[in-house]
Amino acid sequence: MKLLSKLTLYITISKILVVLLFIWLLPRLVNDVASQHTNYYLTEQKKKVLANIEKNGIDYYFDGDSSYGSYTMLKEEYISLEPAGPLSPADTIQTSLRIVEDDTLTYRLLEHVFEYGHKRYLLEIGKTITAINQYNRPLQRVALYVLIGLIAFTLIIDLVFTRLLLRPLGLIIRTKLINRKFPFEEDIPPVSTTTTDFKYLDDSLIGLMNNVKEAFDKEREFTSNASHELMTPISILQNKIENLMLDHEMDESAQEKIMGMMNTLNRLKKIVRSLLMISRIENDQYSRADKVSPQVLIEEVIKELEDRIEARGIKLTLSVSRHIVLQNVNRDLLFQLFYNLINNAIRYNKEGGAIGISDHLNQDKSYIINITDTGIGMKENDLESIFDRFKKTSRMEGEGYGLGLSIVKSIVQYHSIRIAVKSEYGKGSEFSITFLPGVANAF
Amino acid sequence: MKVLIVEDERSMALEMEAFLKKSYYNCDLSFTARQAKQMMEEHSYNFILLDLGLPDQDGLEVLKAAKKNCPDASYIILTARGDLEDRIKGLDLGADDYLPKPFSLLELQSRMMAISRRKSGLNDSVVPLGDFMIDSVKRMILFEGREIELSRREFDLLSYMLMHKNRPLTRVQLSDHVWGNFSDGDYDSNYIDVHIKNIRKKLIPYGSVDWLQTIRGIGYKIKIG
Repeated sequence: MKLLSKLTLYITISKILVVLLFIWLLPRLVNDVASQHTNYYLTEQKKKVLANIEKNGIDYYFDGDSSYGSYTMLKEEYISLEPAGPLSPADTIQTSLRIVEDDTLTYRLLEHVFEYGHKRYLLEIGKTITAINQYNRPLQRVALYVLIGLIAFTLIIDLVFTRLLLRPLGLIIRTKLINRKFPFEEDIPPVSTTTTDFKYLDDSLIGLMNNVKEAFDKEREFTSNASHELMTPISILQNKIENLMLDHEMDESAQEKIMGMMNTLNRLKKIVRSLLMISRIENDQYSRADKVSPQVLIEEVIKELEDRIEARGIKLTLSVSRHIVLQNVNRDLLFQLFYNLINNAIRYNKEGGAIGISDHLNQDKSYIINITDTGIGMKENDLESIFDRFKKTSRMEGEGYGLGLSIVKSIVQYHSIRIAVKSEYGKGSEFSITFLPGVANAF
Repeated sequence: MKVLIVEDERSMALEMEAFLKKSYYNCDLSFTARQAKQMMEEHSYNFILLDLGLPDQDGLEVLKAAKKNCPDASYIILTARGDLEDRIKGLDLGADDYLPKPFSLLELQSRMMAISRRKSGLNDSVVPLGDFMIDSVKRMILFEGREIELSRREFDLLSYMLMHKNRPLTRVQLSDHVWGNFSDGDYDSNYIDVHIKNIRKKLIPYGSVDWLQTIRGIGYKIKIG
């Protein structure tokens, strides 16, 4: 999961949890506050009554009667003052039922017993629970709305800010990591951000890629220079040997030795030439502006190789569409690619074997050409390294190093092509070349 | 035939000279661009073999200047640079051919012969070979006026050997010529044997092919008087 998604999820869930907690807590809280407040209110009322009695005497209330009672219109509050019996409780505040004028109501009740003029009196001040709680619901609702509003507001702010904060990271990932092709040729400017962590990350990535590119460039340059420098001495040697061959005074055994030298030199020449070719491909010295019909191209390759196909009695089946054109490719390189693959299919085939070349245009516009042979095949652990330079595989026993598939690999990398190999030892191999969507067009 | 070899690698130039001398070419050597220009002012040449990597000036510049002094000469560019661009530029500037190093001296000579033939416009392209006649322009081998069918490669091989008749040619040299840059060393040279066998098989019903000799352990040679 992306960091941004995780953070968004976390922020949203945590806020929802806060709201739920609040919803759970709010009634309790409000009730508690209301009851606290009522207690305080009743106590204050009691103090007022006592103060009045202190000031005006108890008859201020009794007014000749033996007890006093009063209540508000809807009986939300009442007060009563009467002589206390011997069983009257001590001071309490509690919730209990009282009958006031035929109505039984639940009251929050303060009871106070006090002495006045050597007599004990009981003071009761009550407030109905309904009255106490009448504001609870609206209060709760308003509180909830305000909270939800605030939470939504902060949620939006948080999400926007997170997005803003993480934007450089996304940019780093998009520009520096996704779709970047080795060896990181294009120069991508640093991401501008004030977050030092991202800055550090970005700088490190740029530094790392520069190092990789530098190392790669050096290797590439070395291969190019070395191969190039080797060409001149090879050239001289080859010409010297050729001149020696023409020396009529030489006996047969000397000639044979010279011939051996020529073969070895030829091998060297072939290796250097292949390396040069690879380094030229890697150095972008080939254009990618050709339009090529794979069918025409492959037929040309086959024509080039038909002598061998014939000589080995191989049956070749070609079924490639005439109505495909490959764009933005290099014709010479594709020729070389198919030449090497088909040449291998002949070379590592059995006498009288078969080669099949077929194509397929996929739904997603990618285009596959398969080259199958009924040859000697390859062992599984050889498959990984067949495209590596100077990797000897068991099928090349004693033949020195093959760079043909290394060239194939660099041609493939140079174009938008993928290559895959399947092989069964002793049965044959299949090379699949996939042109990515956009290269092949049907007409 | 006068040839000017412009090549800064002395031993390379000397080998080319030694080889061409045997085919009765008359060679002058120059190792720098300055020297080459001077030679071109003083003498006229049929062929100018031009290395592009000269120490004092780019070979392509020399070619430009040379085209003025010796417009009639044929130019072959020899280079180890092998840039595709060089090749195109060179041919644009009027070079007749382009040979990447390392090249075979046989190949060089056959290119020179091809240029001569093209330029002289001679139609005596039909050369006898034993009882057969080879027409290198129409790319045919004839026996008493009738064409014998050879594959493209077989014809290439035969005419190349004929061009270098009486010289032993190794399989490597032959496959180098036939497959050029695509030549794959030992493996490919085996196919030379296959081709030679086929050539013999196709020609023997008509006449003797004793002139096509196998040199054990080395290669083949066309031996004619």
